[in-house]
Amino acid sequence: MKLRKKHIILLLLGSLICVISIAFTTVLQKTDEVSVVLLTKEKVFEAENPIVLDFKLNISAKTQLFVHSSFGSNVIGSDVGNTAHFIIPEFIANKKGVLSYILFGESVSLYEGKIHIIPNTKTKVCIETYIGPPSIIAGGWDYTMQVVIPTDAYDNPLPDSTDILIKHQFLDIEKERILKSKDMMGWANIFSYAQSGRMALFSKVEKTVSKETSIEVFPWLPKDFKISSNRKHSYADGNQVTEFITSVLKDEYGNVVSDGSLVEFIIKDTKGVLLHTQGSTINGRAIAKILHPDHKETWQVSAYVQGMAASDTITLDYTPVIDDFEVEFNQSNRKIKVGPLVSFMGQLIPDGAIVKIDIFKGNKKIDTKVTTSSEGIVRFLLPEGFYVSGNYDIQIKALGIQKEFKNIILK
Amino acid sequence: MGWNRNIYRSLIIISFIGIIILMLFGISQTLSYLNTGADRSSMLHLALQKEQVYLPKVKWEDTINPGRPMEKQTLLEIEQDYLNAWYIRNVAYQTNKTQGIDDYYTESARKHLAKSIGYNKKKNIAIHSTTTTHNIALDFYSADGQLAVITDTNVKEYKRVYHSKEMLLETHLKSDYQIMLLLEDGFWRIRHIVKEKKYNISDSIAKRNGIVKVIDGKIFIEDKEYQIKGINYYPQKTPWDMFGDKFDIDVIAKDFDIITNAGLNTIRIFVPYEGFGKAEVKTEKLEKLREVLDVAETKSLKVIVTLFDFYGDYSVLDWTLTHRHAEQIVSAFTDHNAILAWDIKNEPNLDFDTRGKEKVLAWLKEMIHQIKQFDPNHLVTIGWSDTKSASLLQNEVDIISFHYYLDINTFSEAYTMMNTKIKKPIVLQEFGLSSNRGFWSPFGPSEKEQANYYKQFQQIIRQQNIHYVSWTLYDFEEVPSTVVGKLPWRKHKQKHFGFIDRDGNKKQAFEYINK
Repeated sequence: MKLRKKHIILLLLGSLICVISIAFTTVLQKTDEVSVVLLTKEKVFEAENPIVLDFKLNISAKTQLFVHSSFGSNVIGSDVGNTAHFIIPEFIANKKGVLSYILFGESVSLYEGKIHIIPNTKTKVCIETYIGPPSIIAGGWDYTMQVVIPTDAYDNPLPDSTDILIKHQFLDIEKERILKSKDMMGWANIFSYAQSGRMALFSKVEKTVSKETSIEVFPWLPKDFKISSNRKHSYADGNQVTEFITSVLKDEYGNVVSDGSLVEFIIKDTKGVLLHTQGSTINGRAIAKILHPDHKETWQVSAYVQGMAASDTITLDYTPVIDDFEVEFNQSNRKIKVGPLVSFMGQLIPDGAIVKIDIFKGNKKIDTKVTTSSEGIVRFLLPEGFYVSGNYDIQIKALGIQKEFKNIILK
Repeated sequence: MGWNRNIYRSLIIISFIGIIILMLFGISQTLSYLNTGADRSSMLHLALQKEQVYLPKVKWEDTINPGRPMEKQTLLEIEQDYLNAWYIRNVAYQTNKTQGIDDYYTESARKHLAKSIGYNKKKNIAIHSTTTTHNIALDFYSADGQLAVITDTNVKEYKRVYHSKEMLLETHLKSDYQIMLLLEDGFWRIRHIVKEKKYNISDSIAKRNGIVKVIDGKIFIEDKEYQIKGINYYPQKTPWDMFGDKFDIDVIAKDFDIITNAGLNTIRIFVPYEGFGKAEVKTEKLEKLREVLDVAETKSLKVIVTLFDFYGDYSVLDWTLTHRHAEQIVSAFTDHNAILAWDIKNEPNLDFDTRGKEKVLAWLKEMIHQIKQFDPNHLVTIGWSDTKSASLLQNEVDIISFHYYLDINTFSEAYTMMNTKIKKPIVLQEFGLSSNRGFWSPFGPSEKEQANYYKQFQQIIRQQNIHYVSWTLYDFEEVPSTVVGKLPWRKHKQKHFGFIDRDGNKKQAFEYINK
């Protein structure tokens, strides 16, 4: 029993002392103003180097460090004691910029400060190069921009006024320049030359060299040009093909225009009708083709690169292939045979020549029939069901020749 | 035997059908899963949902740069994507997840973010942050329009640091950044962001030349001392929906006549946050508010405008949206003579439990700062629901407002206690008694008791010279459930606080509306 009492008293006493001491310390902590001294003297750190911030506190307290840098904020813990020792994690210590920090304990800010982290120029430099636009126009006024962003090994942009060597090669020209970086990068406008071609660009910072990048220099707009024609003969046989050929299209600096430039040929015939054909350039020349007319014709041909250049106008004459043809009426005039149609040497006209007849009753056209020739002959049939017996006028047209037959009696 | 057979048969058939259904379902689910994300329209990010979620104050200092003239459209795109980058980053630091980072940071930049967020995640740290102002200048824009460098100075950042649920620190920071953005996949993505010290512009709140001023604990309007004798006002037919479809300025004008004829000089009205269009305030609502204020001016009434009614988010990520809401309303009436004060929020202390006290207070503090920036002419207050909370943020507000619905006999004591602690003008912004005796409240106060209550209160008010705004002019027929909940006896009580009953007759209390 006695023992128990003793124990209880001891226990009570012990807990009382505990309570009092805890109360005392908390009261002390509450009343004491925490004052903090920064022991770390350095203000500027180079990326990669470890950053340690040491603070001295006048009393023992649990503190934490809030850090705010380029990529966000973090909280770094420390051990309890009256010195606070904070090792800034590598991922923060390696990033360029101002690092603001707040030392705090129990939601109260105790000390605020700033340090600078600068890029580490001793590490291997990395280069990013951006070139654009990737194609420009010859002539010396269009340009592309070369932007070079040098960083240290920790992806920090190097400080302003870093030397950047840029170089470009074009035909037999090679030029280099040294840029001073500003706003994280160095840049230059590379202007085109009079010639077209491919330009290679390159940059270098300290020992790091970039890859080769290239841009295309395209010719400027074509100048006016000439056209010529090429045909197997000048007969209007409706069968052969005439070719139109341009001279080599060049811009004002003598660069041959890019392959595939579209050239449009406009042909004006004697009636003023416009015909159209087109071709695209290969090695500066465009070739377009068109079928010969099937009757006597004079063509005036000119070519255009739409909105850019025009050619001169050439004139082409086509001579007719026949003067006359035979017409035979059979079976009470209901069967009409035209031909044989013969060509310029007396040969049969190639199959497919167009023959057209117009049939009139009184003075009214009642029908038109169109057929193509086969072995020089064209046959028309006027069946009874369609053409009642009576007098008809018939006109026949072939290869520009027209014949008229009046008062043909169909039975 | 025959029966058993049939049962077996049908079981087999049913299970067969069941298996087929399951298989078909499985196949269709697999197919639809494989189809998700394969929508062609999503490849070019053309159909991105463009809801505004982050609207800090952005000012473009200039766009003059040596590279290439900036196009208006591109400028908007850069601004939008840059702000989104901040928003996404804020969300990432709050949740410690990296969703969305890929869209707004290039591959090399997102690595650094991931490390930093991973570090916080490991230590169980969450950082709730937002930025409220950006001053952006364009340093460089490349000839091909694919690269831009901007400097963002005086970025005001607010951060609240949590360790699991416990708040460690709250801080306001001002920083300068230089940022390189690259146009990738239709997004302007951050390639480099470097926190720098460029130069410091001290921002001072425009000097108060004040139409309304507070000098030595007294309110002055145009150099005349002003004693608030006011009433909380809603039109009788449209309580808690003053600016809705049934808005009728003639009714309001007549009510204002009743109020001025009763010898009162101030009203308090409410601007609902969602009703006014949240971050994009609807112009027609602003016009209605202007009409009300104009009429009040002609009737020589001063108005306390309570903003953010029915708002309850307070989260740091929502700050900028509420700032824009306040900006559009407050700056529209900077020079309006009818306004006495902007009451930032009605009874925000009631949200302390559900939203967290520090969250609500931080939001209020920042909002006071914002509103003072937009309007230096009028006062700012907060309508606390009790005397206990009234001392909160007392250094920030111009006048202290509180509401009192407790026992009238303890009022004097509570008021004197508060008055000794606070040196600014104190406004009793809501008080009243509901004459709700009836079916739902058989022992509730009668109209006579209500009249006595006001009589007694007016005596105290006269003795202590208190600014007062009573609740409210009318008895209401309908009270929306959003106000006091769905319970009929609570609604019933709220319907009978008025000085004028449903039929438009003055109740006995009307005699004591101002004396």
